[in-house]
Amino acid sequence: LPLWAGMDPAASSKSNHCLDAAKACNLNDNCKRLRSGYISTCSREISASERCSRRKCHKALRQFFDRVPSEYTYRLLFCSCRDQACAERRRQTIVPSCSYEDKEKPNCLDLRGACRGDHLCRSRLADFHTNCQASFQSLTSCPGDNYQACLGSYAGLIAGFDMTPNYVNASTTSITISPWCSCKGSGNLEEECEKFLRDFTENPCLRNAIQAFGNGTDVNLSPKS
Amino acid sequence: EVSVSELGLGYESDETVLFRYCSGTCDAAVRSYDLSLKSMRSKKRIKKEKVRARPCCRPLAYDDDVSFLDAYNRYYTVNELSAKECGCV
Repeated sequence: LPLWAGMDPAASSKSNHCLDAAKACNLNDNCKRLRSGYISTCSREISASERCSRRKCHKALRQFFDRVPSEYTYRLLFCSCRDQACAERRRQTIVPSCSYEDKEKPNCLDLRGACRGDHLCRSRLADFHTNCQASFQSLTSCPGDNYQACLGSYAGLIAGFDMTPNYVNASTTSITISPWCSCKGSGNLEEECEKFLRDFTENPCLRNAIQAFGNGTDVNLSPKS
Repeated sequence: EVSVSELGLGYESDETVLFRYCSGTCDAAVRSYDLSLKSMRSKKRIKKEKVRARPCCRPLAYDDDVSFLDAYNRYYTVNELSAKECGCV
C-alpha cells in the first residue's frame, strides 16, 4: 500500500514535506540549534556592499551537515514537493542568496580547478563523481544501486565550498541541480565543460536518488549484500 | 508546539516551533524582603501601588535562538522565545 493510504485526501494534498522536515528539525534541540546557527550566520548583513560572510556561512552549513544526523538533514534537503511553495522552501534550505548565488557565474572548469586546489573539496568532488556516476547497468542508474552513497556525497559537497550544488528553480515537475557556474567562455574545452556540468544537471542517478528519498521508496532498494 | 504565526510577533510562517513557558504559584519562595515590604505597605510607609511583595514564576533562562522561513521566503531568527528554566524571583 502507498504510504498515504488511509490519510485524509484533503490533508495529503495540502501536505508540504519540506515544512514537515523543518518542524521535525525545530522540535529537536540539536537540529534546531545548528539550523538556527547557519541561518542567522548566512542571513546576517555585513555592510551595504557585502550581503553576508560567505566563508562563515559555509562553515556554519558544514557544521550543520556534519553534526546533525542525516535523518534530519536529508529530510530538509531532499523533501518531495507537489506545489511551488514547497519547492521554493526546498531551494531555500541552504540560504542560497549567501551560500550559492554570486554576482557573476564563473566558468565551471575554473571552478573545478579551484576546488581541486583544496584537498577537502577535491576529495568531496571525487566522492560525488564516484557515488553519483550515472550507470546504465543498474536499475536505479546508480553505482551498486546505492542511493544513500550518492545523497551522502551530494550533501558533502554542499557543506561549504564554492562547488556547492543547489536546485536551480522551484519547479515541482522536474528536479534540476547545478553548481553556480556556466560553460560560457570555455573555448576549446566547451565539450569537457558541458560533460562536467551534466553530471549535476542531467544525472539520472542523482535525480532518482533524490526522488526515491522524497517518496520514501529508497528503503526497498538498500544495497544488496 | 505552536506555529510561528500564532506567536503574534508579526511573522507569517507555517513553521512549527516548541514554546515552553513558566507557570505556578510561588508561595514557598516568600522571602523576608516580601514580608517586610508587605508590612511597610500596610503601615503606609510605602505609598507606591506598583510594588510587588510576592515572588512570581518567570523564566530564569531561555532556549537557544530559533530560525524559520516565512511565507515570503525570508529567513528570521528570534531569540529568547521559549523558557529553558523557571524560578520564583
